Amino acid sequence: MKPTVGFAGMTHLGLVSAAAVAGRGFKVVCFDSDQALVDRLTRRQWPVLEPGLDELIRSNGARQHFTAAPSDLAACDVIYVAPDVPTDDQGRSDVSGLTALVRGTAAVMDPGAVMVVLSQVPPGYTRTLGVLSPERLYYQVETLVFGQAVERAMKPERTIVGCADPARPLDARLRAVLDGFGCPILPMRYESAELAKISINCCLVASIVVANTLAELCEQIGADWSEIAPALKLDRRIGPHAYLAPGLGIAGGNLERDLATVQRLAEIQGTEAGVVAAWLRNSRYRRYWPLRQLQERVRAVDPVIGILGVTYKENTHSIKNSPAVALIKALTGCRLAAFDPVVRASAEWHPRLTVADNPLAACDGADAVAIMTPWPLFRTLGPADLAQRMHGRVVIDPFAMLDRAAAAAAGLEHVVLGAPLPGDQQ
Amino acid sequence: MTLSHKQGDPLKPARIVVLGAGGFLGRRLLAACAASGVEAEGLGSRDLDLTDASAGAQLAQLLRPRDVLVFLAALTPDKGRDSSTLMRNLAMGRAVCEATRSVELAHLVYASSDAVYSFATTLICEETPAIPTDLYGAMHRTRELMLAAEAKVPLAILRLTAIYGADDTHNSYGPNRFARQAHKDGRIALFGNGEEMRDHLYVDDAIDLMLQAAMRGSTGLLNLATGKSESFRAVADLVAAQAGRHVEIVPSARQNPATHRHFDVTNLMRAFPGTRFKPLADGLVATVGAIRG
Repeated sequence: MKPTVGFAGMTHLGLVSAAAVAGRGFKVVCFDSDQALVDRLTRRQWPVLEPGLDELIRSNGARQHFTAAPSDLAACDVIYVAPDVPTDDQGRSDVSGLTALVRGTAAVMDPGAVMVVLSQVPPGYTRTLGVLSPERLYYQVETLVFGQAVERAMKPERTIVGCADPARPLDARLRAVLDGFGCPILPMRYESAELAKISINCCLVASIVVANTLAELCEQIGADWSEIAPALKLDRRIGPHAYLAPGLGIAGGNLERDLATVQRLAEIQGTEAGVVAAWLRNSRYRRYWPLRQLQERVRAVDPVIGILGVTYKENTHSIKNSPAVALIKALTGCRLAAFDPVVRASAEWHPRLTVADNPLAACDGADAVAIMTPWPLFRTLGPADLAQRMHGRVVIDPFAMLDRAAAAAAGLEHVVLGAPLPGDQQ
Repeated sequence: MTLSHKQGDPLKPARIVVLGAGGFLGRRLLAACAASGVEAEGLGSRDLDLTDASAGAQLAQLLRPRDVLVFLAALTPDKGRDSSTLMRNLAMGRAVCEATRSVELAHLVYASSDAVYSFATTLICEETPAIPTDLYGAMHRTRELMLAAEAKVPLAILRLTAIYGADDTHNSYGPNRFARQAHKDGRIALFGNGEEMRDHLYVDDAIDLMLQAAMRGSTGLLNLATGKSESFRAVADLVAAQAGRHVEIVPSARQNPATHRHFDVTNLMRAFPGTRFKPLADGLVATVGAIRG
């Protein structure tokens, strides 16, 4: 008989992960103490935007049940505790809510059930919890990626499980759940698993910083990073899925949190981690790439700037550390019109900001347009249409959402990350 | 750390008092104040010897409550690079600190220097550690720390990169020396082939930003630079093209490795949106033209 799985904490991580487990055929109890949230979930009003989430939960049907009653978790064999862990501006995690939920869950769960901490925690956290006997407590690495969370939760590359003693076999019920995903399972001690998650993100940041560093050089010397990156991906030591797209610095909060954790641990342990400061410096520098380009190219007095996209990436509602919001706040000497498919730009960010109903409306009369988020919708924009609606010619398009040849043909001064910079100034 | 403004828009202060009024920047700043209708008082070394032991008290006598004090006075490297010069410069800093404890000023703007940075970092921003490698840089950094710790007044620290323009009395390696050499000798002498990249800020642009900081009650730290570096060779070529005579550019055997310096001026763009710098070529036209008379 398949084990029943519980999830405590129905924010982004918990909701998507629970849907994925239910999608693999397990009965899932989804608990959150927030009755209003549970009511919204029951009405299929999801608090996050994730492609495929609605369809997945619909197909799960009665296998996935939402509740605000903690006693409902007593029927579960395996309980994941999975609230999102908030971070502050410095990337420091506040695990107090997680710890409270762990303790509350431990108090109501069946004495034979096992608990899995799924939220991201700093190394050392799980072993010191002390709420359950070690053989009943696990930590599992989450691999949530905003905008791709459902796909990754349904088809993980591997599952990393932190255990008190990795030499002991995994609990059979937990093993059954994990086997449902058909991917390699890597048991390891708690501390290794906790640091593995951080290690993954550090590798990603390192790749991004390499791409950013070399893309900027490309812009200056007439090379084109879009020509170089495919060559790197064919190198077996780098690989076809390497993070080599240049960007506007790390954002979203998760990577920042992990870097802050490494810095803090290195300070305490006395290990050398200066490269992390360099990554963060590069990230802060890249965030204002669009501002520098606008400053360089827009000569109009009291210019109008169109902003397309305000979320920190596509397919998410998150604006945490969003480069678009940073740009909006920095453009104090301009008038702005902004459009985003899911988030309404706030007048608190800028005193002269108007919200447009559609992308082209944000470009009306603009001296320059900045396409700050790579929403798929923006790929459908015709450069000629933009040129017709705009007053000026400058389009800051970090992610090359417009076809570069078409943009040039339309007479746009099209500025793309990693591509040779257009020389003419408006 | 960067600059933040007390006032969103510039406001005329009660009075601006300029220390170092007889210098290159001081004269220009007083002229800019006059052009903007801002009451200003200039104090040069002939008016007040800031290195004197009683200078703090003397300065306090000359200041009024609500004055904005702009501290430009310094003995530059062409006046001496030794420890004696260092100590005299620090004495000036101490005098200013003392005066601010006696008079309730509205604001203090300190003109520091990019000499506080080492050449270990080639792309400089405000977060770049200030690790001076000579006594002049150490002097500015020490003054910054003295003012931050002891001056009882809202403080703006502006770290200026190399300034050029007509009437520059200094003769340091760069645009002004090149212009004088071209005019006088018909030749410009370079270290190596002038490969070093530097950011050259036209004096009027520096003054404009300084005045804006004074009129907006800005506090914090900001580098004043254009964000565009050019090689000394490129500067020499531009100067030669404006000299009105044949100018020979003379390289020399390089004694030391070339160093480069660039500025990330993102924080300047955020602090003073829409700032436009005079292009180097245009600034050199004005500079060379003034020297040619």
